[in-house]
Amino acid sequence: MPNTNPNPHPAPPPNSTSNPNPHPTSSSSSPPTKPATTDTNRETSTIDALLTGYLSLLDEYTALRHTLHALQARMYHDLARANFAAERGVRRYGRDYYDGRMQAGRRVRVCDGGGGLAGGDVDVKGAEGDREEEGVGGGGEREGEDGKKGEEGDDPREREGVVFRVAVYPPPGRGAGGKGEDEGPGTEAPTTEAADGNGNGDREEKKPGKEGPAGGGEGEKQSVNPIDPLRWFGILTPLPLRQAQGHAIKAVEEIIPQLATLSAAMAAVELEVRRARKKRAKAEKAEEKKLVALEEKMGEVDVNE
Amino acid sequence: MASQADFRDRQFLAVIGDEDSVTGLLLAGIGHVTAPPDNQKNFLVVDAKTDNASIEAAFERFTTERKDIGIVLINQHIADRIRNRVDTYTQAFPTILEIPSKDHPYDPEKDSVLRRVRRLFGE
Repeated sequence: MPNTNPNPHPAPPPNSTSNPNPHPTSSSSSPPTKPATTDTNRETSTIDALLTGYLSLLDEYTALRHTLHALQARMYHDLARANFAAERGVRRYGRDYYDGRMQAGRRVRVCDGGGGLAGGDVDVKGAEGDREEEGVGGGGEREGEDGKKGEEGDDPREREGVVFRVAVYPPPGRGAGGKGEDEGPGTEAPTTEAADGNGNGDREEKKPGKEGPAGGGEGEKQSVNPIDPLRWFGILTPLPLRQAQGHAIKAVEEIIPQLATLSAAMAAVELEVRRARKKRAKAEKAEEKKLVALEEKMGEVDVNE
Repeated sequence: MASQADFRDRQFLAVIGDEDSVTGLLLAGIGHVTAPPDNQKNFLVVDAKTDNASIEAAFERFTTERKDIGIVLINQHIADRIRNRVDTYTQAFPTILEIPSKDHPYDPEKDSVLRRVRRLFGE
């Protein structure tokens, strides 16, 4: 779980040089300087607030990075174990076995800041519900996270920028309902049927197509329902390979979209900070000009007297 | 802020990585090959024989030409080979994420997001 500590690194103190008049209310002898100073102060506090938020995003990003590394390390370890214990004839679980007609079974959904989905709201609802069903094998932890994700609008990131999500495609609830628990975390529903069946690959590949709304007669342009990538490597795949798949699914579904969201949110804050800094610099310049003008005026008054 | 049309169709993850990284991520079900006339893959397996031009071409294809990619994952040691291209990439979509590989641990100093952080704080 990402660390949600709002401010692990205290924000840098406001730049003292930016405010040439630290006690604006002490004498109030120079009314023209007062609004400029207030402007500068306001910009400084805006920048501080932005940087505080930025640092909390950075902290979350770093924590997620650690989680991703741990997951990937386990994935590589399991892949190495699978390769080590590979059956005769299997040189290596790698690109030689990739399916040349593979279809993505997990796809990205990009939501806008308000929580609305770019591709259509129906899909969001479907995905949320489906993932709850699907997550039985994956443990309650994931379901909990999904639940949190569902409450859009609480997270400032979701209000401000885009939100990336990765979900099973097509939503398994439409096809084979609720069988996902047999296979462990994140295995797609069509896959589960395949693994449960007697290994007739062709028949099982067509099965989801029959269940789909478009039927089996869809052309080449229509994407075929994806099959479980594990099946590229045979029917009886070793346990380490399945475990590697579990880690990869967790990384792809949970960590990577969050990292992408954070990266986008951080970029947005960077932009705002730069803008606020420019504004502050302008305010400072204006203030300096006014001070110089005032000093000149005072000098003239002194000479006249 | 990017318009909705910019990210409406971005539904795939793309990977540029070594064989183990790509295999692992494809196991998660992100691999996609488009319909026959194009047969475009959303991944590139990089090995010792792959030259930088191919990596750069794949990066270009995933980031600029294809409008259906939402996130590009690239092994950090491979991103190092086209570092200039990765660091000068400023588009909002797709998002680039550097990931570690089996043989090359993740170095935060090289991460493009953390570089941005350092730049913001004036280092």
